[in-house]
Amino acid sequence: MSYIAPKDFSLDPALVERLMRTFSGQLDLSWMQSIRERIAARPSQPKRGLTLDDINQGGYGPEHIPEIIRHNFSMAPRGAILPNSLPSLGYRLNRKSEVWSDQAPALFEEGKSRRWAPARDIPWEALDSGGYSPEQDAAIRQLATSLVSIGLVCTDLPAKWETLMNQEFHEVKYLMCLQMVDSARIAEAFRKRALYGRGHLGVDCEPLGELLKMVIESGTYPCASASMNLTLFSLVQGLGRHWEWAARNHADAVLGMRLAQDASRFLAYGMDHLRNLVAQRPAERDTLNGHLDLIENGVVGWLGARELLEPLLLLSGGFQPVARLYEKTIDEYMARCEAAGLGDRRKRSPLPGFLARVLN
Amino acid sequence: MAIAFPSLEFFEALKKRTLEAAPTFEKLGYCDTSFGLRTDDALYGIHFEVHECVGVEEGPDASKLDFILSASGPVWREMVQSIVENGGADAAHTLNTLSHLGDTIQVEYEDAEGHDRLYRYMATIQEFFDQAQHLELDLA
Repeated sequence: MSYIAPKDFSLDPALVERLMRTFSGQLDLSWMQSIRERIAARPSQPKRGLTLDDINQGGYGPEHIPEIIRHNFSMAPRGAILPNSLPSLGYRLNRKSEVWSDQAPALFEEGKSRRWAPARDIPWEALDSGGYSPEQDAAIRQLATSLVSIGLVCTDLPAKWETLMNQEFHEVKYLMCLQMVDSARIAEAFRKRALYGRGHLGVDCEPLGELLKMVIESGTYPCASASMNLTLFSLVQGLGRHWEWAARNHADAVLGMRLAQDASRFLAYGMDHLRNLVAQRPAERDTLNGHLDLIENGVVGWLGARELLEPLLLLSGGFQPVARLYEKTIDEYMARCEAAGLGDRRKRSPLPGFLARVLN
Repeated sequence: MAIAFPSLEFFEALKKRTLEAAPTFEKLGYCDTSFGLRTDDALYGIHFEVHECVGVEEGPDASKLDFILSASGPVWREMVQSIVENGGADAAHTLNTLSHLGDTIQVEYEDAEGHDRLYRYMATIQEFFDQAQHLELDLA
């Protein structure tokens, strides 16, 4: 059902009368007289251009956003003059600590400046030189298939929450839009990788599906952010680095490097967002840790899945490099959780126990 | 005259290359990090801002660096040799390949966010080292 405006503008005689007065040259200009604050926004570093941080001055800056938004539920941009009776757009994420990261504006700018286009920026023809055995060729296409699934779900997840977020947090909303683009690019690039040449998609992976379902069905935005930005993208960054390490040609080296690069921005936002939340509302730490206990169970399922493990073994030339990948990825993920203010998760997480069984 | 590797002169020459090859670095996007390269008993600091290297130094304050790439002289020389011979590092000699499993180049870091800057800006950092292909080097 569509929203219906409270009045029929086409039958409003006052609107027509006003229109005629304006067209005859009688300008009211009351909107101009009500302008309050002017700032001097200029690029602080000319080579960087005019950034969001440059224009975040005075009342337009995020430091004036209250912890709980009660004054604006409309489409009005932060700092604009709010007439009475603006419609509510029904936002549900109205607490600053629930969404905010001081790094969000810079990460948004960085993400745009480091953009790349799979169609032209990957030297696809380098794949023609081969470098893989038939089994390794199938393995890399299998891994690409899983990365397509991850990209698709991580396009949906920010979309699910972005529309519920108050416009006062526009920098975070911009960043979420960029996350959608970044995720769509992961799906695009690795679909192209899987299908290039005499290509094929691999088998969909049920444990990965379970993990992704847990991530996307996170009940709150902070839990969704923790499970996608922090947990899932720790794995994606690790896979990107391993993909480049295992690459036998320039195309795969670039693909792995770009995947790790883009994943690292998700990680940066996730760590700063959660650290900010936990610092302001320490009780949230328990909720987040409880959620990650469940998510990490899903991670164990995926790390142990044949559709992930066997292709990794084939591409890596044996068990040791894969064990080392798992060990490093889990260690670095635990360090990120600590940096995010979640404390030492090693004692409660199922991941160290899983790792010990793998290594022994 | 050939530039010795490793040396402060080498890193100053690479710094200059980020201006001479500005379009390449601008296409790769913003890069804001300070990192180190350790070889045997020397530590060099490399500072990036926006698109370019804005400073290099010998003996920087390690606590102010996001991460340090640490390896022996022969490992670094082999990497640079590969860059010179192939017009950029081949797949076996990229910074990621050499550091990924921690067995050739070690990545030293104090905090997780500083460490992740290596991967956030890897394309720029790799390009920085790949510019060595344009230098006349003494790798003895």
